Amino acid sequence: MRYVRRLALATSVTASLVLTGCGVGGGGGDDGGKAQDAAKGKITGSISFQTWNLKAGFKGYFEDVVDTFEKKHPGTKVKWIDQPAEGYADKLSADAAGDTLPDVINLDRSTAAPLAKAKLLLDLDEADPGAGKDYLAGAWKSNDWKDAGGHYAYPWYLNTGPTLYNTGLFKKAGMNTKKLPTTYDELFDQAMEMAKKSKKQYAMIGQLPGTDVMAKYGIKVMNDAQTKYVFNSPEGVAFVKKYVELYKAGAIIPEALSQDYVNEGKNFQSGRLAYLPGSSYTVKELKKNAPSVYKNLAIQPQITNNAPGMYIQSVGVSAHTKNSATALAFARFVTDAENQLAFAKEADVFPSGSDGAKAEYFHADDGSDAAKVRVLSADQLDKAVEYTWPGTSEAQKTDLREQIALAVSGKKSVKKALDDAVAFANKQAQDGK
Amino acid sequence: MTTPTKPVGAARRLVRRAPQERTADQGRAARGGHAARHGRLTPWLFLAVALISEGVFTVFPFLNTIVLAFTDATRLKGGAFIGLDNFSRMIHDDRFWTALQNSALYMVIVVPCMVFLPLLLAMLVHTRLPGAGLFRTAYYIPVVSSTVAVGIMWSWMLDSQGLVNQTLKALGVITEPVPFLTERWLLMGSAMFVTIWTGLGWYMVIYLAALTNVSRDLYDAAAMDGAGWWRRFVSVTIPGVRNTMVLVGALSSVAAFRVFTEIYVLSGNTAGPGGSAMTVIMLIQRVGTGLDAEVGYASALSLVVFVITIGLMIAVLRMQTRENEK
Repeated sequence: MRYVRRLALATSVTASLVLTGCGVGGGGGDDGGKAQDAAKGKITGSISFQTWNLKAGFKGYFEDVVDTFEKKHPGTKVKWIDQPAEGYADKLSADAAGDTLPDVINLDRSTAAPLAKAKLLLDLDEADPGAGKDYLAGAWKSNDWKDAGGHYAYPWYLNTGPTLYNTGLFKKAGMNTKKLPTTYDELFDQAMEMAKKSKKQYAMIGQLPGTDVMAKYGIKVMNDAQTKYVFNSPEGVAFVKKYVELYKAGAIIPEALSQDYVNEGKNFQSGRLAYLPGSSYTVKELKKNAPSVYKNLAIQPQITNNAPGMYIQSVGVSAHTKNSATALAFARFVTDAENQLAFAKEADVFPSGSDGAKAEYFHADDGSDAAKVRVLSADQLDKAVEYTWPGTSEAQKTDLREQIALAVSGKKSVKKALDDAVAFANKQAQDGK
Repeated sequence: MTTPTKPVGAARRLVRRAPQERTADQGRAARGGHAARHGRLTPWLFLAVALISEGVFTVFPFLNTIVLAFTDATRLKGGAFIGLDNFSRMIHDDRFWTALQNSALYMVIVVPCMVFLPLLLAMLVHTRLPGAGLFRTAYYIPVVSSTVAVGIMWSWMLDSQGLVNQTLKALGVITEPVPFLTERWLLMGSAMFVTIWTGLGWYMVIYLAALTNVSRDLYDAAAMDGAGWWRRFVSVTIPGVRNTMVLVGALSSVAAFRVFTEIYVLSGNTAGPGGSAMTVIMLIQRVGTGLDAEVGYASALSLVVFVITIGLMIAVLRMQTRENEK
């Protein structure tokens, strides 16, 4: 009996070890030429479509899109799922590990990249050759992962935002609201002035810089071949040293050391910050949640010494979808010119279709704040680029923020902090994580 | 008719019944052995749901973690066996040592507070004074509150423009805000305070149960011998609740070493400036979640935490055994 028990135990342990294998996920791997045939099947059957925190504001729009698609292609059924913003990447990673990714998925660059590298998304260069011509060249290019060897998502909507100022704090500090900062150097100078004049009561800046801000300031983040991070250059060091001085002077709120961009917005809403890189969505939020800040709001073009930054939302198709033709057709449908324009109007964002924001709607200023933001943003859209680089990951962003926090709080020299951040970023990029 | 000499399982229970039933039941058990087999299976049937859920949600993931600790698995791709590389990486990982130092410090400071403060509190409310019930309830409220909600409340209070700093400023105690949430040691201290504040009521209830077992006569006898409050506390109360103190020490040391929520919420998931207030569990969460998760390394970290936790439990149990042998 004892022997049997031991045997059973040994068997179960061995089985566990074997079954668990060496990994949690497993969805990845070569698709063995499946991508080329993906669009060839009949458009029929059920698929799932996952959006990223859009149900609350745009339920009606998506229900209409799904209905229209189902009517256009009888025999299809689209199950629309919306996930909250919080933990979206974790949900995707759990789905990917369990091989239960939705058929059509709303992604941004940092969530799409790891899925593309793991070959969990269909390569559109193979599945839908020539699709690129229907989208803005810059937007299509931003979904090109050289290291993964293709395009893995259709560009969807774009966003680029203005600079927002709380002029109320400028007035309280006795500063001129007619000469709001238009460049980074002016921003830093006026931040110092505000801290000094208000005796550290009010601060201009609420977040430490990431590589996007470095790039907008004019610092080279990667080498030309995009193989190595190089932001630990003398220019990079001089740039971060400005933040050290600003922090010492009280021009950056203390919470910036240990909080991310979400809290920057909250601090602006609560009237603690005078400057916020925002979007049309931020203006809406302020109008609703912080009317006292909203009434003192000044909307200015995005501060940059370089091209303005933009953010792209995309739509990818799972490599393991059972109805690839339907999934591809639906992804194209959601991102076609007509649906993109309709959604852009609904959500105050911009379409990534080949006509971009040329429509009259994006350039007509009716005097409202929403229209002002829209026109400002549409004007800078042609020049805007998405400031992300190959190998950019959440871990790398977090590490950079921590290293700069150590430098700003005097726990590490600026040079050492940037050297360490560059070493980490290069290792991440090299490991393909 | 054959009578079994050693009734087993259900048959054994049946022999306690009335004599007229006993003979028939014993006969049935002996004839087919059905009841005997049924008796052996019954406990397993009752346990089946719990055993299956334990197997699926505890044993299997635990074994999986052990396997993964020796691989370079990531969230999206299975890994290859890399021997002890993850452990060697850990030794050279500054974040691991910072996290280990913070978790150990958390334990060293929080555990004595958790062992003694709730005992004092329990003694205070273990009286028949009017209003004692109200205090018992009040001290227990943080226990039933969500740790996240408590953490958010304290993060508002301890913010550089929060209630605490504003009050200290208004009283003229400070001119510049105290960086409760933006300085490593102050952030750690704030988190420890929240842990203690939340946990006091829970351990107080455990001590209250233990105090009811300490005989009133012992206190009376000590008082007759001229023992004061302190003497009675040291010579009667502490020996009376010693085993409970060991239990509280064991529970709170494991909980303190595995601290996560308080630091996570107070630091807004950043582990303080430069990640300087990172604890081991926060490090595991950071390394092991998200699309770029390094599951192999996170598993190795988890294994180390498991070994330390087991070590702590064994140490406490040995201490208890030694005390009981005295």
